[in-house]
Amino acid sequence: MTTIIQTEHLKFNYDKKQVLKDINLTVHSGEIIGLIGVNGAGKTTLLNILLGLLSGEGAVSVFDKKPGNPTSKARIGSMLQGDMIIPGITVGDMLKLAAEQTEHALDPDSLLADLNLTQLKTQRLGNLSGGQLRRVTFAVALIGQPDLLFLDEPTVGMDANARKAFWDQVEQLRQQGKTIVITSHYLEEIQQIADRLLILQNGRFTFDGTLQQLQKQHLGATITCETDLQPAIFSGLADVDQVHSMGDKLVIHSRNGDQTLKALVPMLDRLHQISLNRESLEDIFLQLTKQEVPQS
Amino acid sequence: MKTFLAQVAFDGKRLVLRNFSFIFLSLLMPAGFYLLYTKAMISGSAVAIKQFNISYMDQMIVFSILLEALFSIASILKRDRDKGFTTFLRLSPKGVVPYYVSITFWMLMMSLLSVIVLGGIAIGVNNVSLDAGQWLGFLGIILVGQLPILMIGIALSHIRREEMLSLASNLLTFPMAIISGLWWPISLLPKWLQTIGKETPTYFVNNLLNQVTSRATVDLSNLVGIAVWFVLGSLLVVVMTKHEQRKGVALGEA
Repeated sequence: MTTIIQTEHLKFNYDKKQVLKDINLTVHSGEIIGLIGVNGAGKTTLLNILLGLLSGEGAVSVFDKKPGNPTSKARIGSMLQGDMIIPGITVGDMLKLAAEQTEHALDPDSLLADLNLTQLKTQRLGNLSGGQLRRVTFAVALIGQPDLLFLDEPTVGMDANARKAFWDQVEQLRQQGKTIVITSHYLEEIQQIADRLLILQNGRFTFDGTLQQLQKQHLGATITCETDLQPAIFSGLADVDQVHSMGDKLVIHSRNGDQTLKALVPMLDRLHQISLNRESLEDIFLQLTKQEVPQS
Repeated sequence: MKTFLAQVAFDGKRLVLRNFSFIFLSLLMPAGFYLLYTKAMISGSAVAIKQFNISYMDQMIVFSILLEALFSIASILKRDRDKGFTTFLRLSPKGVVPYYVSITFWMLMMSLLSVIVLGGIAIGVNNVSLDAGQWLGFLGIILVGQLPILMIGIALSHIRREEMLSLASNLLTFPMAIISGLWWPISLLPKWLQTIGKETPTYFVNNLLNQVTSRATVDLSNLVGIAVWFVLGSLLVVVMTKHEQRKGVALGEA
């Protein structure tokens, strides 16, 4: 696997505040990285450093070159926060200009067709909805056929259909072997698409691994079943946090799903329709960051 | 070159062809003032009227450039930064150089357009007549004289809040137009205001234009005044850029 991004002991200060403290990161080709953290954790700052918009202390390389190098720029596509609402400019004008910025540009009309955006070609950017603008920004990021994509809050403002279409497109990019770094507050989406998660807290990575590895560290689960037993019986079982009824079902919140499940074995003949749901990325993220005060 | 031409075409659409505020503020408004003051609100001898038609053309062209720089250019540059357009170009392999060259090109073209529109009205409606040498000198002064005004416009574009930019543009443009004698003769103003007015960049440019169009001797101290304002304007741009970076606008835009 080729190393695409490498940082060693990366630090970044903004005014007197240390935004990034000691970032060590290696991203290989074809990986889809989900970079998550509360507002102000330093996600966008890290992306800006990798893009060459900001300079930090420590070693940083992207495609074996310093960020911002023209050769590596040609291999990077980015979809940053905020949309380019340029008065007087149509979607077609914008893509035409973007295509002129790079040597290996896709045909703007074909790209619009692939992304199902042909109907927007003659529309002015200022007349588009937030979701439509994000989709156009995605098209702009893709036009140079980049090998590495930075997607910062890509689906903000998109409706459910647009979000599905967007993630389908990202899945196609994965099939093509593209490397993608995504930040998003929609953690259920990150959970679906990312091969690897990076949790950024107070300027450091507090987790770097797969969702499965994260779930092994956080064994919490919700067990649902139907039973004629009284809920109070379950409250005393191993690692049970909370028990409540929901219609015909009994819902047991456990700190360690495996242990609680073992404790349920003697009662199995009185339990029906048992299901166990591991904590989602969002549940774990909320636990990890509940002490952290969002910065913005 | 292909990238530059694409940028020029892109900017031409948004800065001129599809930019009603430029057409209204920088072309139609000065043209309307010119027609109003030279056709409806004028009296005096034929010689005086002829002279006024020329000098007021000079004044309205300078006024047009002032509006273009302090309103159109300032807000366009600000919007390009705020909306991430300059960041997008910085991240592209070709960088921002074609963008800045194209913006400079269109600034010059917009000034030229002001000269064509107001000069055309002056010739067509008021029979103003200048020889080729005068027109060339006129264009030369416009090209050089707009530089300090554009620098002020660029510096203004670094004001962080949209409403503050609008306020600053208004507070600079109209008082500067009045005290530098673009709306009515500077001699009508109190002495102390005249003293201030005679140090403004628009006064120096207007003075030079008047000297060329009236075939008077060109006073080079006006050029010195323009050069000083250019240096001051450039310094202001540097200070505003540094201030913006310190306040973290560069972070926010990305």
